[in-house]
Amino acid sequence: MIHLYGVVEELEGLPPVAGVDAGRLERRRIEGLELVISRTGEESDVTQEAVLSHAHVVEELMARSAAVLPARFGSAFSDEQELADAVRTKASALARGLSIVRGCFEFGLRVLGGDGAAENASNDLSGRDYMRTRLAEEKARRRLAQELHEPLARLSRASVRFGGASSDLLQSAYLVPRQDVAVFGEHVRGLEATHSGLTIICTGPWPPYTFAANGEGGEK
Amino acid sequence: MSMSEQKTLKQQVTLLELVDRVLNKGVVVSGDITLSVADVDLVYVGLRVLLSSVATLEEPRERISTAGAAL
Repeated sequence: MIHLYGVVEELEGLPPVAGVDAGRLERRRIEGLELVISRTGEESDVTQEAVLSHAHVVEELMARSAAVLPARFGSAFSDEQELADAVRTKASALARGLSIVRGCFEFGLRVLGGDGAAENASNDLSGRDYMRTRLAEEKARRRLAQELHEPLARLSRASVRFGGASSDLLQSAYLVPRQDVAVFGEHVRGLEATHSGLTIICTGPWPPYTFAANGEGGEK
Repeated sequence: MSMSEQKTLKQQVTLLELVDRVLNKGVVVSGDITLSVADVDLVYVGLRVLLSSVATLEEPRERISTAGAAL
């Protein structure tokens, strides 16, 4: 099988690291796009080692190129022909994706807290008042999440808010141009200082996994 | 929280975020992804496994590969 790490732009040279299953990294050029791959066994398992190998290679590519569109772990092809066909059908979307992430890092944000007012007061409230308090609390949470998110989104080339079943106040990702990373970090530290009751977890810089998925018009 | 506890927590969070990205996001070039890694159960169980095994780690990247627990 062929394991794909990502699409790269202006790669200086392959990093001196092994790929998944200790495979040797190789470059391929298809439709004007440069790809980094390695060969793996027939059945490549999702092990911690494999996931971290993939992530390590992507990070090393990030350090040696103008842009990387990281592949999701598990993008495997049976042979060179299948890889070439798949890339050809997506070539324009991949090129577009590269132009979006060029010169940027991804940062992840999770904010926890900002709830509990209704729970704390529940003993003294009627059912109706309890629900009203809950509603007011939910509105306040949404407002707060938006207040935290908006200024960070303005500092970013692109941003995504994740919804779903998460109980987090805010879960989001930001695509931040290299030259704006310091300002972005300062802003996050400012949020930590002004919202001491919230747990604010900012991680990064990451390769732009989240925005590679968006660039292809994919899910999430 | 002590400094070492904080460090361990930071490593756990970083690893969780990393795994979430590598398995759930990124560009998908092939039409059919060979492993159903977006399956919620798989990722969720994997994260729990990672959480329990990462607690003993000092160097997250280097040492985790020897932990051997499958996702």
